[in-house]
Amino acid sequence: MKMAARPTPAANLAARASRAPTAQSHSGEQAVRWRGATYLLPALLFLGLFFLVPLLGLLLRGVLEPTPGLGNYEQLFASSAYSKVLFNTFAVASLVTLFSLLLGFPLAWAITLTPNGWGRWLLNIVLLSMWTSLLARTYSWLVLLQSSGVINSTLQSLGLINEPLAMVHNLTGVVIGMSYIMIPFIVLPLQATMSAIDPMVLQAGSICGASPLRSFFKVFLPLCRPGIFSGGLMVFVMSLGYYVTPALLGGAQNMMLPEFIIQQVQSFLNWGLASAAAALLILITLVLFYVYLKLQAESPVASSTAR
Amino acid sequence: MMVLKKSALTLIAAGLLGMGVANAAEQSMSFVSWGGTTQDAQKEAWADPFTDATGIKVLQDGPTDYGKLKAMVESGNVQWDVVDVEADFALRAASEGLLEPLDFNVIARDKIDPRFVSDHGVGSFYFSFVLGYNQKRSGDKAPQDWSALFDTTTFPGKRALYKWPSPGVIELALLADGVTPDKLYPLDLDRAFTKLDTIKKDIIWWGSGAQSQQFLASGEAAIGQFWNGRVHALMQEGASVGVSWKQNLVMADFLVIPKGAKNKEAAMKFLAQASSAAGQAEFANLTAYAPVNVDSVSLLEPDLASSLPTAHAADQITLDYAYWAKNGAEIATRWNEWLVK
Repeated sequence: MKMAARPTPAANLAARASRAPTAQSHSGEQAVRWRGATYLLPALLFLGLFFLVPLLGLLLRGVLEPTPGLGNYEQLFASSAYSKVLFNTFAVASLVTLFSLLLGFPLAWAITLTPNGWGRWLLNIVLLSMWTSLLARTYSWLVLLQSSGVINSTLQSLGLINEPLAMVHNLTGVVIGMSYIMIPFIVLPLQATMSAIDPMVLQAGSICGASPLRSFFKVFLPLCRPGIFSGGLMVFVMSLGYYVTPALLGGAQNMMLPEFIIQQVQSFLNWGLASAAAALLILITLVLFYVYLKLQAESPVASSTAR
Repeated sequence: MMVLKKSALTLIAAGLLGMGVANAAEQSMSFVSWGGTTQDAQKEAWADPFTDATGIKVLQDGPTDYGKLKAMVESGNVQWDVVDVEADFALRAASEGLLEPLDFNVIARDKIDPRFVSDHGVGSFYFSFVLGYNQKRSGDKAPQDWSALFDTTTFPGKRALYKWPSPGVIELALLADGVTPDKLYPLDLDRAFTKLDTIKKDIIWWGSGAQSQQFLASGEAAIGQFWNGRVHALMQEGASVGVSWKQNLVMADFLVIPKGAKNKEAAMKFLAQASSAAGQAEFANLTAYAPVNVDSVSLLEPDLASSLPTAHAADQITLDYAYWAKNGAEIATRWNEWLVK
C-alpha cells in the first residue's frame, strides 16, 4: 500500500513545477502573488508535522545510531555490495524510464489523435490498469513470463524455441514489469501536453516545406518537451523507490536500494545504516529534481528563458 | 451543595468501578504471527482453548514485523503481547533488550526440548529445510542429499533457495562440499560462497512459502531447499513432488513477549498453553510442523507422524541460531556482496 500512495507527492511536485510562475516579475506583482500564501498554512502544518518531522528523525538516526558519527556512511561506501546495489537501482530506473517513454509516447499520441470519444476510452483503459492492484498486475506478469508460463509454453508448442526463455527472476523481468506499471505516469502528462499543442503550428511547418520527419523532430518533439520531462522524471524517481515489483520479478542478483533498506530495517534492525541509505536516496532525488527544474524553461530557477 | 457534590462523586466512582469490572471480564491480549494457514492453526490450537479456559480474549494481529516490534518497544507504546518470531531473531532481540524475560513458574521449561527454549523465548514450533524436487523434472533418479543441488548434470534445471541471509543456505553449501555436521560452525563463508558460485546462475530465490510451492509444483524449479510443511502440503494436494529428509536442517520459530507488553501476565499464561503437550500436538496435527514439547510426540496422529521432522531425527542437523544471532549482520554484508557480484 505504501507503493500505491507514492505517486501522489511526486505528481503534486511535478504539477506544481509546471505551474510555476512564467517569468520573474517585479516586486509589486510578487507581493500580490504571495498574499494567498496564508491559505497554504494548514497544508504546510500538516506536511511539517507528519512528513518533515519524521523525515528529520529518520535522517538523524543515520548519524546517531548505533554510535554518533558518520560510521554508517563509511560502511555504505566501503562495501562493494552497496555501490553495486546503487548502480543496479539507477540502471533499472533509467531502463524503465527509457522503455516507458518509448512505449508511452506513441500511446499518448494515439490518444490525442483519435476522435474525441474513442480517445477518452483509450485513456480510461490506461487509467483502469493504473487502478488495478499492483500485486495482481505483478503476479500476472509472473504467470506470463515464467519458464513454465503462458509465453514460454506457447513458443515451445509452436516449436519456435527448445529451451524456455529466461524472462523473469532477472533484470528483464523487472524492466518489463515496471515499464508496464509506469506507462500511465508517462501517458497522462504527455497526453495533456500534446492535446494543448495547436495543430496549426505543425501545418505551418509543412507549408514552409518541412518533411514529416523534420516537423516531428523540429516542431512536435520540442513542443512535447515539458510532458516528456515531467513524465520521465516522475517515472525515474518512482522507480528508484520501487519495492514490490523488483522483489517479485527480479532475481536477488539485481537487488535494488529499497530491498537493501528493507533488509536492514526488518531483518537486522540496523536502522542507522538503513537511514543512511535512505538519506542518500532522498539526496539523489532532490538533486535530480533540481536539475529538472533547471531544465524547465518556465521554472524560477531555470538557467535560461529560451525554449 | 455538599450533599449534591458527594452524590455526584459517588456516581462517578460507581461508574468507574463498573468499568473496572467490565474490563476484567473483557480482558484481552494480542497475538501476532505470520498470517496464512500457520496463524489459523495457532488460533485453533492455542488461542481458542486459551479463551475457553481463562476468559481472556486473544486478538489476532500480524504479520510479524521486526521493525515494528522495535519501534513499539522504543516508543514505549507496545500493542503486541505475544509475537511469533524466528529463533535467531529471538536471541538477537533479547540481547538488544527488546524482550521480557519469561516466567518459568508459569511455563513448564523442563518439558520443552532444550534446543527450543531460552530465557526470553519458548519454541512456537520447529521445522526442517528439506530437499524437495519435482518428479517430472528429475525422472526416475531421486536426489539423496544437498550435494544433488550442486550436481547440474544429473539434475538439470533451476534450484530454488531461500532468499534471505538467515540460517540454511550457507550450511547446506558447506555440507554439500563435504564439511561434517560437527565442523559446520564457525561457518567458513569463503568456502560456502565458492561452492554456491558453481550454481549461482541456476538459483531462483523464494521469499515466501507460497512462492516456494509455486516454483516447485510448476517445475519452474527442478529441485531446491524448502520448508517441510510446504512440501508436505503439495504432496497432500497430489503434486508430483518428492522429498529427501537426509541432512534435514532444523530451524524454529519462537514465541516472545516484547518489553513493556501491556498484558504481560496473560501473555505468560498464553505461552504456557501454547507450549503445553496438548497445544503443541494439536498445532502439529494441523500443520505438519513439529512440536517443541517432548510429551507431544505420543499425541501426534499416527499417519501424519512420519512426515514430521520428529520422525527424521537421525538425519537431522540443528542450525545454530545462537551463532547467527551473534554474527548475522556480518554474514549478511558478505552475503549481499556475493549476491550482487
